[in-house]
Parts: sequence; structure tokens; C-alpha cells
Amino acid sequence: MTLTLETMRADIARMLHDDPRNIGLDDNLMDLGLDSMRAMNLVLAWSEAGVDLDFSALAEKPTLAGWWALAQARQDAK
Amino acid sequence: MKAALRQPGLSGAPSLSDRHKLTEAQEGLWYAQRLDPANPLFNTGHYAELRGPLDRDAFRAAADQMLSEAEALHLKMGQGSDGPYQMLDPARRPRLEVVDFSDQDDPRAAALASIKADIGTAADPASGPLASEKLFVLATGHHLWYRRVHHLAIDGYGMALLNARVAELYNARRTGRAAGPAFPSLAAVLAEDAAYRASDQRRSDAAYWHAALADLPEVTGLAPGRALSAHGFDRAVMGLDAPVLENLQARARAWNLPWPDLLTALTAAYCRRFAGGPEIVVGVPHMGRLGSASARVPAMVMNVLPLRLAASETLPLADFVTAVAKTLVASRRHGRYRSEQMRRDLGLLGGYRRLYGPLINVLPFDVPPLLDGIAVTMETLSTGPVDDITITFRGDGRTALALELDTNPGLYAPREGVAQAARLAEFISRALTASTLEDVPMATAEEARRYTETVNSTVHPVPDTTLAALLDAGLRRTPHAPALIFGGRTWTYADLERRTRALALQIQAQGIGPDAIVAIALPRSPELVIALLAVIRAGAAYLPLDLDHPPERIARILASAQPRLILAASEDALPGSLPVLAPGAWHDEPMASELPSPAAPGDLTYVIYTSGSTGEPKGVMIEHRAIVNRLEWMRQHYGFSAEDRILQKTPATFDVSVWEFFLPFISGGALVVAPPGAHRDPKAIAALVRDNGVTTIHFVPSMLSVFLDAPDAHGLRLRRVFCSGEELPADLGARFHAHVEAELHNLYGPTEAAVDISYWPVRAEAGDRPIPIGFPVWNSRLYVLDDHDRPVPPGMVGHLHLAGVQLARGYLGRPDLTAERFVPDPFRPGERMYRTGDLARWREDGAVVFLGRSDNQVKIRGLRIELGEIEAAAMASGLVGAAAIVMREDRAGQKRLIAYVVPGPHYVEDGLRAYMQGVLPDYMLPAALVTLDALPVSANGKLDRSALPLPRFAETAGRPPATPTERALATLYAELLGLPEPPSAEGDFFNLGGDSLLAVTLMLRIEEMWGADPGLGALFERPDIAGLAQRIDANAPVSDNGLQPLLRLGSGRDTLAPLFVVHPVGGIAWCYRHLAGMLSPRRAVYGLQAPALTPGTALPDSLEALAAGYVDRLLSVSPRGPHHIAGWSVGGIIAQAMAVRLRELGEEVGVVALLDSYPSDCWRVEAEPTPTEALRALLAVAGHVPEEHPDLVTREQIVSFLKAGNSPLGALPGDALDGVIRVVLDVNRLVRGHYHRRYDGPLTHFRAALDHRESGLLPTLWRPYARSIDTVDLPFLHPQMVVPAASAMIARELDARMATGSFLA
Repeated sequence: MTLTLETMRADIARMLHDDPRNIGLDDNLMDLGLDSMRAMNLVLAWSEAGVDLDFSALAEKPTLAGWWALAQARQDAK
Repeated sequence: MKAALRQPGLSGAPSLSDRHKLTEAQEGLWYAQRLDPANPLFNTGHYAELRGPLDRDAFRAAADQMLSEAEALHLKMGQGSDGPYQMLDPARRPRLEVVDFSDQDDPRAAALASIKADIGTAADPASGPLASEKLFVLATGHHLWYRRVHHLAIDGYGMALLNARVAELYNARRTGRAAGPAFPSLAAVLAEDAAYRASDQRRSDAAYWHAALADLPEVTGLAPGRALSAHGFDRAVMGLDAPVLENLQARARAWNLPWPDLLTALTAAYCRRFAGGPEIVVGVPHMGRLGSASARVPAMVMNVLPLRLAASETLPLADFVTAVAKTLVASRRHGRYRSEQMRRDLGLLGGYRRLYGPLINVLPFDVPPLLDGIAVTMETLSTGPVDDITITFRGDGRTALALELDTNPGLYAPREGVAQAARLAEFISRALTASTLEDVPMATAEEARRYTETVNSTVHPVPDTTLAALLDAGLRRTPHAPALIFGGRTWTYADLERRTRALALQIQAQGIGPDAIVAIALPRSPELVIALLAVIRAGAAYLPLDLDHPPERIARILASAQPRLILAASEDALPGSLPVLAPGAWHDEPMASELPSPAAPGDLTYVIYTSGSTGEPKGVMIEHRAIVNRLEWMRQHYGFSAEDRILQKTPATFDVSVWEFFLPFISGGALVVAPPGAHRDPKAIAALVRDNGVTTIHFVPSMLSVFLDAPDAHGLRLRRVFCSGEELPADLGARFHAHVEAELHNLYGPTEAAVDISYWPVRAEAGDRPIPIGFPVWNSRLYVLDDHDRPVPPGMVGHLHLAGVQLARGYLGRPDLTAERFVPDPFRPGERMYRTGDLARWREDGAVVFLGRSDNQVKIRGLRIELGEIEAAAMASGLVGAAAIVMREDRAGQKRLIAYVVPGPHYVEDGLRAYMQGVLPDYMLPAALVTLDALPVSANGKLDRSALPLPRFAETAGRPPATPTERALATLYAELLGLPEPPSAEGDFFNLGGDSLLAVTLMLRIEEMWGADPGLGALFERPDIAGLAQRIDANAPVSDNGLQPLLRLGSGRDTLAPLFVVHPVGGIAWCYRHLAGMLSPRRAVYGLQAPALTPGTALPDSLEALAAGYVDRLLSVSPRGPHHIAGWSVGGIIAQAMAVRLRELGEEVGVVALLDSYPSDCWRVEAEPTPTEALRALLAVAGHVPEEHPDLVTREQIVSFLKAGNSPLGALPGDALDGVIRVVLDVNRLVRGHYHRRYDGPLTHFRAALDHRESGLLPTLWRPYARSIDTVDLPFLHPQMVVPAASAMIARELDARMATGSFLA
């Protein structure tokens, strides 16, 4: 199972009760209301989808672009 | 990291070796700590219990490395001229201290004691290290690892980072693997803070919060009182059960919400329900680390975000919690904006107004650090001050979740915290399976049982009989004993029995019997008593009428009640054509020796009319069974006997009179009838009590207050005094016990429940605040219910309901109103309960506390008034288009009715007044009429009472505040002084109601806002906004705390000799501020203050030495005479000594004024005060009446009382308060050791003529020590000599004497 940019965007939007169109690539997700609890839930969900992401790595650059880069790197490594 | 510090250019971050402003996050804490420097709760700390083979060397190395990396722990802080600063101080770097307690008897207990002592000691961030790290060795393989860090340096997340870092370094050492990178520099956090302060983001965050917090309601917690952190807190802990956690997770999944948000929403809903308002604001801590430089830097970054939660209990639960979660998401987006700044934006900073009530903190990641091979458990000791209630959930929410409830002991008893924790856990558990919040009851099952059944176990046998039968027996029992006393005449029981039987038979002869009504319209007199007894003995019911009421109202009552007969002096005053029987026509001798008593227990005894909200008075029908229960309870509960004499002074139309009239005759005692009008005359009441040996008397509390003001009341002794009719303030209870020797009982009950249905003994030593209305009487029940008629738990406000045998039959002729108010009792099928419309709460001991009305009914002097009845009268005049009547209490204890009217086309103010006088009794007439173009309404269309203007708005014209400083000051004045709007630029702090001690609070607030304090002296000199703003803008030096030995209190013409005023007992001369401002012409006024107020200054050897020092100081500012001196109390003694000294130096002395001072000889003859008495003098210095606080005896109690209370003496910095205490305690020694020398000149003595009546303190006592005494009597008490009214009189007298030189006489 692969993770795409759009599924990531949709997952984040659902977590924020927001519309995916409102999640820009370089928006600071924290500014959009993401907190550590929600971030952790996303990590768990994506892990269940087969993509293990490191929480502290996500925390350092909380943007969709940053996370997508990490996810791509992780999926390419497989 | 060190490199980064030395080369700040590398990271672009500021160097930490320089002074640096505190971050926004730190500033609020800095000021909070400065206001309460001795509070140890600014320490945060915890300990971890380590079990297992600990490598102590590796641990020490790991801990020391962490301590060296965490720069926040090396900070030094202080107050600079432009605000507080911080900088790195390598000397403050903590090191791990290993403490070996393994040879102690109980090593763990010893370590915990040591920890407790350390965390309980306040750390001064300006002088000591901010952190301490200890490892207690308890045994091989058993350690306690403890850390304390000042909250200014760290938050909870930072603490976790420190723990994790130690674990990481320890494990790396043990396994040989490399540890991760060190903490980044704190400089990055400071740089980020500085960047944020200037950013667009901050502006948009400000806009978000501005909108989110618009119309913020008054914020409350879960208990009344001021949310000011005590120096400790109580903690209750509850585990949540596995089924609850399963439901929590299931619902969170189903609704796509993080479970912590769900928990926060439910907890906030619980708090909202408990607090009872339409909305609550809770605080939600926000760690603010994600995506920030502080993600890996231990520091104080945490913010608290306010969450507003409205009552939306009918929404489907999913919709409700989803909406709350959305709000949380939105607020986190703006979560960097500091809550302190929000408070500043809203004008809530300082004082006692707050941004949020309970704190709700869900910590899902709170796990102990993982040390290799060691089992670790954590115990959190403190996470900062607990202002109100802090609710913390720790655990992963799946396998475990602990509810930790910390409460401020100043607001909650420890067991209240335990009860809240248990109740909240049950609420959450029930809510997680409910479909709406409305379905979830508040009380636990156990509480519901206790507060409907247990507290109401009042069954007591009372004979099922009538008042007529009780009276008949009572009147015949002791024929020769005195029964009735009026105006020096006494009637025996035989007399009274005969007269009442005669009239009763006369009434019966007219065919009047059970359930027929006889109206009685007689002034207070023996005839009134005879009439009442006779009507009841005849088996009929009486209806009291007050002929002072407007005829129109009396006519309406008569039309509604349809009495068969009226007992009145004449028919002239009565409308209509009802038969009147005047006392002159009453039979003196009975027509028969026996009196048949046809009444049954279910027949009516009396009908009393009360104010009705629709404009129509309503008649409450009370049956024999009800009033017999009430009277028999009172007789037996209080032990009334033939020895008792009860004073009758309550008007018969007020149901309190019922027991006054009848209780004596069923107890065998006597009734002393006060002459008409005497009930309003304290002197007459005191004389009646003294002259007639009265044992029992009733007061409405407001009348009791007036009574106690009268010197005649002081020293009265009687058995018992009852209060009812309105709230009995605790201070009044204390005043009562200070002046009168008697039991005091607080009773409560509406007319609808046969006079009183609950009781509470007010004991001097109990100190209940507020005084409860207490427990139900015999065969009666009290319920406090929510909007759905479910019992509420103790502490929560609910609607008071009454049930039992005393309930009225209903309202005469108004089955509709009766059905509305008397409803089925849900807890006793087949019985009724009465909805009082009163709000109340339970205490945990089962006593009820009255909290006011839920509707528009008010009470003035104990008289029940429906505002709707007055509004109806105004509308019926045809002169106004709309009317709203409001009871205002703009000054404490001063209740007034104000009518707000919108004039109609034919409006004439006098016409409206005249009309209302024609239809309303005096006590219902508005004190003021205010005309408005329209009545203000709130968003939901209801009258917006808060928008109604003050009736006589004391508006001083002036220019509006112009500069930013002026505008901010105006807002601050308005807030501190409770003004409806900011004053003009000329607004004077003191003229607007500022108390000189409140000035201390103002200075603290100014320092908080502008970083510098212009000094109290500046305020005394320029109390107007424009003047003070100038001083703030000029950035005046901060040295002036108003406690310097010479304080300028006023200025004026240079050509006039200044007046020097000498401090009274507390050493502070601020009390002469009014006097200084009232001298005319204005002249310089200097206050001489005790040098010992400054810490470290030696106490003076003698009063002579003190006076000589003051003379030196006086001459230094005013080298040439004449020298005018004045002093109040001890200040006068010093003033006289100064005058002697000045003469000795050859100086010309002007006026020497003594404000109610008496020579030291008078002090020597008094018993030496105990240290406690000397300390209690502080209460008087702070403006309290010491007698009202008998419980305060230790220094700690008194100081914390002053700090907690309104008295800003308590807001003085700690060392200044110490100075005051030192001066107060030393005064006695100085005065007793002082022997006056003669002053060869005149003394002017201002005597507090209302005081010292029997003490023999007279101005003539000064005769040996002066050439002459010029005495001015002032109508004040000693403590009032410096109040504005007294100051004005003294100023006039001083003006005349200083102007004419008459002091030379």
C-alpha cells in the first residue's frame, strides 16, 4: 500500500476537520491547528498503512511538503 | 553549545551572556511571583522512584551533562530599570547532589521529608539558583531522583525533555552507543520570542483572540472567592476504569476526534454545569512546541489558552464535542499569543479578575523516563500555582488514565476536591454513553440519596390539632400570670382569656366560623392582640391589613379575599361596604363561659398577602396543621417557657409576626407589645428590652444592623435573637456577638411555608461565611434541584424547593398560580413541593446556603417585592411607554429601587410619582426615576440590566484622556475603582473613590504595564490621570515606595508655612491624604513616617529620640517657622514632643493639633497588651474592625488574611509589611516609656466626641503638658478621624488657626 501526497493531505485535513483544499504544501501544520496528539494519530495511521515515519522528524518540519519528502524517502527505501 | 554562546553571530541568536528581556511567557510569572514572593508553588518539581541496579557513576555523569546542557537552569534574573531581565550565570549551573540516606531508620521517609521541605521553600529567582537536582540513596538498588526548577525556567514539556536526556545519556554510557545531540541553545527560543513579538503572525493572532474573547463574561471557578494561589494545594486522585476507557476510545474513533479533546470537552462541560452560568471559560495548557525552535529546548514556553464553553446541553453529544474540538484546533493555530497579553488586552491584568477558571490538562505522553534496567515510577509534586482548580489526566488513555485534581485550599476544602474528582469521574463515565449532556445528572447516586433523604430525616411527632386548641389550653393554664404588657400596663392570662373569649363569641354569633376570613386593620396595640386571638379562637382565619397602604391596594385585597367582617378602629379608612366592628363595640364580658372551637387542623388560620409579579398581590393561605408544626418546633427546639418575654414589634402583615403573637401564649410567657412606630427606633427597642426583661426579639438583618449602630444596643443581654426575612451577612453576625450577649439564630422561610422552614444557630466562634439558612425544621424537607428537578451535589447552585407539613394550602382564589408553584414532590409520591424561586446550595454538612433569587423578586428591609408589581403600576399610570424597575446596590448595604422609564406623550415626572404613591405601599416606591429613550436590551431581547445607567451619574466634565498613557491609566482607574467608564484626564484617583491603600495595587499594576513605578509619592502629589501620566512618561525613578521617612502629601503656595503630619500607630502617614487635599488655601503638607518601616533601620531608643529625629527632618525642609504639626492618635503624642523639642531649639511653633490623642499616662494605666493584641492592631491599621475577626491570632493568619482580603496593606512588598508589623509592635514600648514634658504653648485638640463615653479620656488630660487646650468636638469615632468628612472639618479649623496666628494665644 502506498501513501500519496493527496491521501496525506486528505488525512491531515480530516484530522483538522478542514477541507483538503485548505492544506497548502508549505503551510505550517501547527498554525493550522495540528497538535502533537493529532500528529501522533497520523503517524499511527500511516504506520498501519505500511509507512513508518519518525515522529520527531515530522515535528521538526511540520509542513505537508516536508512530510511528503520524508514519506517518499521512506517508500523509496523499501 | 558553548561555542554558540561565544559566537552569537553563527546562529544569529542574541548572546545570553548579556542581559536579555524575559520572554512574554516568563513576564507574567515574574510579576505573579513578585506579588507573592513567599509562595513556593512557583517551584515545579517531581521525583522518580528508581528500583534496580543503578550505575551511580553513569547516572551522575548523565545528570551533570544534562544540567550543563540545559541553559535555562543557569539563568540569573533581576529587575532592571527597563523591566525584568535574564542572563546566563555560569555560577548558577546546578550539579547533581547525591544524598545517602541508607543509614537512616526509614530512608524513604527521610528523603521524602527532605524533598517536601525543599519544594516547600520559595526560591527567589533574583538571588538564588533556579534549579536543584538530587539523587537520594535509600538502599542498594533503591533511589529517589528529585528535581526542582523555578517555573520561570521550565514547563512540563521541558521537564520531560530533561528526564529523557538523562535517560538517553545514561543508557548510552551503559551500552556504549553514542547519545544524540545536545540540547540546542536557549538563545534560539529567545530569538524566536523576539521575532514573534514583532511579527504579522502575532497581529493576526491578536485579532483572532480579540474576536474570540469579545463579550467575555465574568469568569468564575467552581467555588466563590478570589482565585489567588495559596502557598500549597490539595490533591485528589482517581483512576478511570477500563470500561470507561473503552467507551472513551470507541467514541473518539467514531467521531474522528483525538480522545484528549473529547475528555477536555466533557470535563469543561462538567465545570460549566457545576459553575451554573450560561458559559464558562476554562484554561487549556498549550505546550506550543511543534514546529518551533523550542521543540528540543528545555525552557518555559507553555501557554494557557482560554476555552469558552456555552451551555449547549441539548445538542447531540457528537455535535457538541466536535464543536469543542474544532474550537480547540482553531485556538491552537493562534496558540503562541500569550494569555497574559490577552488579559492585558481585556483589561483583566492584576486585581482578581481572570481569563479562565478551571485548568484542564490532558497529558497523553506523560510516561516515566526509560533507564536501562531500572523500574521507574514518577510522582509529580508541583507544576506551578493552583489558582482555582487544576484537573489533570495522565496516561495513554487506553491502558490507564489517572484523574488528578489539585485545588486551591483557599477556595476548596480538601474533601470537596475528593468529591469533585469522584463526581467528575462518574459524570465522564455517564456522559460517554449518553446521547446529550442534558441526560447526565450531576450528583452521584450516593449524593442524590444523601441530599434528598438523609439530610431531610426530620420526622418528629406533633399533635394533630389547631392553633385555636393550643391557645385555649395556654390561656387557661396560668390565669394569674402576666400575659400581655403594653405601655406600662399588664394584662393577666385570665384577663386575656376573658376578653378574647368575649370577642370570639361575638364573632361566632355572626355565623362566622371555619375557613371564613375576618380582616384585621388595627395599629399595634392590646386590641390588635385581642382581635387576632379572638378570630382564631372563633375558628375563623384572620387577614391582616396595613392602613398605611394605599386605599386602592387595600380595596383590591378586600375584593380578592372577601372577608365576612373587618375589625378596625373605624370604617372611614376602609373602602367598600363590608361590616366593620370597632373595639368600642367589642364585648368586654363573654356571652358564655364555654367557647366551642369548631376549627379542624386542615382549616385556615390566616391569609397573608404578598407582592405578586403580575401587579396583583396574592393571598397565601396557611392552615392550622402547618402553623402548629412551626410553633411547636420553635417552642421545644429553643426551650421557650413561662420565663420568656417576647417583644412584638413586627407588623401583622409580615408573617414573622405570627410567632411573636402566638408563641408566648402557648409557652406560658408574656408578650411585650411595642408602641406603634417603635420598631424603627433602636433607642426605643433597647429601652423596651431593658425595661421589660424581654428575652426574645426578632430583627430583619438590615434593621439589626441599624440597631447595632446605636450605642443603646451595646451591652444588651437577652436569651435569643432571631433573624429572618433577608440574608444575614457574616459581618453582621460578628458585630452582633461583639455587642450583644445573646444567642443568634438565622431562620428562613417564605410566607408559603408557614413563616420559617429552616434554622441555623449563628455561633460567634464558628465563623461561617456566608451564614447558612441551615437545616429543615420538624416534618419538613429542603431540596436543591437543577432545571430538571434532579438533586444537585453540594457546592452547586440549584433551585430551592420546600416540602412537608408546613406548606400553604395555596393562593386564595388563584388555582393557576397555586398549580404553578406547588407541584408534585418527585421524591415523595402523593405529596407536594413548593418552588421558592430562591437559589441555594448545599454545604457538605447538610446545611443550605441561600444565594439570591432566580427571578425578579427582591427584598428591601425584609419585605418581599415583585419588581413586576411596580412595573405594572408604572405602566398603569398611562404616562410611560415602557418601564423597568431594578434594585441597585451601588454601595454595599444600600439597596435602592430605581425606575427606568421611557416617557409617553403625556409624561410628567411628578404625575408618575403621584400615581405610584396612590397604588403602592411606601416600601415599593422607587427611590429615583430615570428617563431613557429606550430600554437597553441584550442580544436575546431581554432587558440588559448591566447597560442601565447609574441613577445619579456623578459625571465631572473634563477633557478626555488623550495620550496612550492617559488612556491606559483611565482604563486602569475605571477597573480598580469599579467605575462604569473611564474618567476624564482630570479624574482624581482619590476623589473617584480610591483608597490610599488601593494605591499600592495601582502602583503594582502600573509597574506591570510600564515596567517602572513612578512611586506612591507621585500619586499623592498628582492623583489626576494627566499628572500621573506625565510622571510615568517622564520615567520617574523607581525608588519611591511611599514609605520614605518624609512623604510629600500636598503642595501649595510657597509663602505659606507647611503642615507636618505625624504618622499614627502603623508608622504610615498616608491617612492624612484627604486632609492635605482639603486645606484652603493649599499649602505644602509633609507626612512624617517611621524610619523603622525600612528594613534594617534600628528601632528608636525612645519616643523623645524619635521626635527629635522628626524635628531634624522637619527643619531640613522648612528651616524657618512657624512650624505647624498635627498627629492622630500616637501621632499626637509625638507631635506634642516635637513641639517641646522645637521650642527647646528656639524655633517658632505654630499650630500643634492632636487628633483624638491622649497622654502616655493613659497608656500606662491600661494592661500591657499581649503580643497577640498588638498584632491584631494591624487589622485596625488596615481598616478592619478587629472584633469581627476573633479567629485571627497568629502573625501568619493575620498576614495571610490581609494578603487574601481586599486590604492592599497585604499587597505591600513583604519587607515593607514586616516594617509595618515591627513599628506596630514597638509603639507600645515607646509610648509607655514616654514621660511628657510641658509644652509652653497652646494645643488644639480634636476630640472624637462619639467615642470614649465611659472611658474618661478627655482633652483636659493634657492640661499638665500644655499652656492651654483649645478643644474642638467632632461627631466621629476615633477610627474615623481621617475619613473625608472628618478631614473636611479638621481642615476648616486648621485653616482658621494657621491663617490668623491664633495659635499664639
